[in-house]
Amino acid sequence: MPADLNWAIGGEAGDGIDSTGKIFAQALARAGRQVFTSKDFASRIRGGYTAYKIRTSVEDVQSVVDRLDILVALTQRTIDENVDEMHDGSAIIYDGERSWDAELPDEATGVDVPLKSLAEEAGGAIMRNVVALGAACEITGFDVAYLDEALEKRFGGKGSQIVENNKEAARLGRDHVREEYDLDHLGYDLETTDEDYVLLNGNEAIGMGAIAAGCRFYAGYPITPATSIMEYLTGRVDDYGGHVVQAEDELSAINMALGAARGGARSMTATSGAGIDLMTETFGLVATSETPLVIADVQRSGPSTGMPTKQEQGDLNMLLYGGHGEVPRFVVAPTSITECFWKTIEAFNLAEKYQTPVFLVSDLATSVTEQTFPPEAFEMDDVEIDRGKIVAEDDVEEWLDEEGRFRAHAATDDGVSPRALPGTLDGAHMSTGLEHDELGRRTEDTDVRVQQVDKRNRKVETAKAEEDWDYREFGDPDADDLVISWGSNEGALIEALDLLEERDISVRVLSVPYLFPRPDLTEDVEAADNVIVVECNATGQFADVIEHDTLTRVKRINKYTGIRFKADELADDIEAELSTEVPA
Amino acid sequence: MSSDVRFTDFKSDKQPTWCPGCGDFGTMNGMMKALANTGNDPDNTFVVAGIGCSGKIGTYMHSYALHGVHGRALPVGAGVKMARPDIEVMVAGGDGDGYSIGSGHFIHAVRRNVDMSYVVMDNRIYGLTKGQASPTSRSDFETSTTPEGPKQPPVNPLALALASGATFIAQSFASDAMRHTEIVEAAIEHDGFGFVNVFSPCVTFNDVDTYDYFRDTLVDLQEEGHDPNDYDDAKDVILDSDKEYQGVIYQDDESVPYGQHQNLGANMSEIPDGAPEDAMDLVREFY
Ligand SMILES: Cc1ncc(C[n+]2csc(CCOP(=O)(O)OP(=O)(O)O)c2C)c(N)n1
Ligand code: SF4
Ligand SMILES: [Mg+2]
Repeated sequence: MPADLNWAIGGEAGDGIDSTGKIFAQALARAGRQVFTSKDFASRIRGGYTAYKIRTSVEDVQSVVDRLDILVALTQRTIDENVDEMHDGSAIIYDGERSWDAELPDEATGVDVPLKSLAEEAGGAIMRNVVALGAACEITGFDVAYLDEALEKRFGGKGSQIVENNKEAARLGRDHVREEYDLDHLGYDLETTDEDYVLLNGNEAIGMGAIAAGCRFYAGYPITPATSIMEYLTGRVDDYGGHVVQAEDELSAINMALGAARGGARSMTATSGAGIDLMTETFGLVATSETPLVIADVQRSGPSTGMPTKQEQGDLNMLLYGGHGEVPRFVVAPTSITECFWKTIEAFNLAEKYQTPVFLVSDLATSVTEQTFPPEAFEMDDVEIDRGKIVAEDDVEEWLDEEGRFRAHAATDDGVSPRALPGTLDGAHMSTGLEHDELGRRTEDTDVRVQQVDKRNRKVETAKAEEDWDYREFGDPDADDLVISWGSNEGALIEALDLLEERDISVRVLSVPYLFPRPDLTEDVEAADNVIVVECNATGQFADVIEHDTLTRVKRINKYTGIRFKADELADDIEAELSTEVPA
Repeated sequence: MSSDVRFTDFKSDKQPTWCPGCGDFGTMNGMMKALANTGNDPDNTFVVAGIGCSGKIGTYMHSYALHGVHGRALPVGAGVKMARPDIEVMVAGGDGDGYSIGSGHFIHAVRRNVDMSYVVMDNRIYGLTKGQASPTSRSDFETSTTPEGPKQPPVNPLALALASGATFIAQSFASDAMRHTEIVEAAIEHDGFGFVNVFSPCVTFNDVDTYDYFRDTLVDLQEEGHDPNDYDDAKDVILDSDKEYQGVIYQDDESVPYGQHQNLGANMSEIPDGAPEDAMDLVREFY
């Protein structure tokens, strides 16, 4: 048996699939097992199909694979959707008393558990999913007691009786399997360790990073899959004197966030899809008024309304180039869930140090994936805050012109101007989207125009020299073949490396979190026999960027089905690409 | 310092390029006087200006200011005020800025009731783009883009505000300096969103809604003994399309500004130089 177990629960949206899956994931984390979850879902509140999938191991897991070991199926469609992932050792838990006649694939073992009846025995039909969890525990040799803490966490607010009923429901599920089936031949026996992991998703990591970084203001407009950043911050940021506003639209959201930033707050907004289109209107203003602002784009499948609940990395071009005119900016794309936390903090520092818009680019897969980490992965003592050139009242004078006016857009050597926050004596000044002089006053003077464009672009040059824009590297550093990726494909690539190694294929992987400015890959690309760029879009937007930077043709692996890369699939794709011709 | 602030302290040294006689001169003067009279000074005031001839006000006034994107001044103002309850926030713009491209924001700014003032310089025309119909233009007002008039009724911004749950609605006239100043002062002092629609004639592109027209027709509510706390009276005034009114039309004395019911009081610009002390608790929530 492989070291990892792949488990899923699926049914209709509204069946409590997510919360049940999460209870099992938390129980595994409590037992010292690593967990990586993924979701299949349709964009409907009820109806259709949705599944919560867990891959778990005592070792690191950072990808999904095309293999399902245990499936809790609440509907026939759940079985049908997952037939291809079943194998001889798979088990399907289903309720034979329900109206549908379950049609099981030949290779899988059916485990018929009267979920509803047993739940009613424990106190209510609503607990049928928990009965299924108990059954799953028995099949996998996992102590049902590990579920208890997760059940307390989930149902504690509803009173101790509800918690006790749920614990009982789990035990009834376990006992039923124990009495009715002998499944030892399947060979599942989940190991536990002394580790204790936290379990969180990418949006939660961004939200937590924002609070750690001192973010005090968030304005947003609900849109999948960005909304959960807003939901995380709501109520929590208030504890630190901050506030979350649900604006009337994204045009308003980004302008409110900009207003708060003009007031001196660390401020952010987040959106996705059509929302980032609307916000584009204000990109230029953020840049020319030199306002520090973090704009998160949790990408989803486009264009237009696209597939709102599906994965894609399709916004790269618009984040690099969006907005009329030439807009200096930083574009940062965390490559993992822990990196969502750390890069958010970095984004706030970059924004304030360089008084520039910073795009924090994540995606749907990262936003819904829950993964385990040791809590030290988010060590708050390591958080550093750099607020850049905010001028204290005593230093304002240094920045006044001969007539006593504050030079808010002074063309300094490094391009960064002093920043006086409202309330600072003698610091009053205007900032504007119009071209302006050092004082912020409108001008069309050719020399001043050039001076101000240059000084804004100089900030990017300064940042290029002063900050770290490096890639993350995995695999064999001496390999002849190079695989390049950006954003959230990193975990699947790392696991693909192991699979490739089993086939005696070694590659060097560069995972790039900085899209602008970005590391210069010319030497790495030139030194390699094959260069393959992996990304979740159809046209290869990052591959284009790399060809442009390095003047070398690259090979491309693109996926735009709406589903993230899986480790085994990626290993196959890379192996296949290695034997194709380099494009002319 | 506020006690010896003069209104000219709010003037920048940039000479306005408005057409001679433009209503915006008077509108701006009254705003500066109102800010000074209510004890503000340029360093604790934030002005957000829209885009239009009216929006140039940000350049001609002296204070902390942002001159942003066409139609989006109100959200910027709300963001400043939420982050900095200690700062006086005033938003200004034109009728196109506020009632056309920014009309969605107007409705929601009114109902959000953030404690700030909003001065709309209503000239019933697009001035900056040289004379096209605005949402407050008369239905038969001929312009370059509406040769036979818009043939649509003008927006009634006061009614829009009332329907959106306004707590302060006023109207003034740029050339009645004293009353205009008093009315803007009342908007600043109102606990909540103080909305003033100002008749601010465009002498270049609007030959209908002129100084003479407003002088001849304007009815001052103060002289009429109007009670702004009476919602029904306010409604009658607002829906009366036969006359033009000036004065505070409606004021809700029970207004609870946004910052109050959301417990906003902190100066959000102040943060620790590392993660908050108890931040590891946030991590532990994920056990
Ligand atoms: C998005 C966008 N569309 C169009 C314009 C062009 N534009 C500038 S001002 C304006 C209308 C101004 O009318 P109003 O708000 O009434 O201001 P006024 O000039 O009359 O004071 C327009 C359409 C713009 N700046 N931005
Ligand atoms: S065009 Fe009209 S609104 Fe603009 S400055 Fe001239 S008079 Fe004033
Ligand atoms: Mg106008």
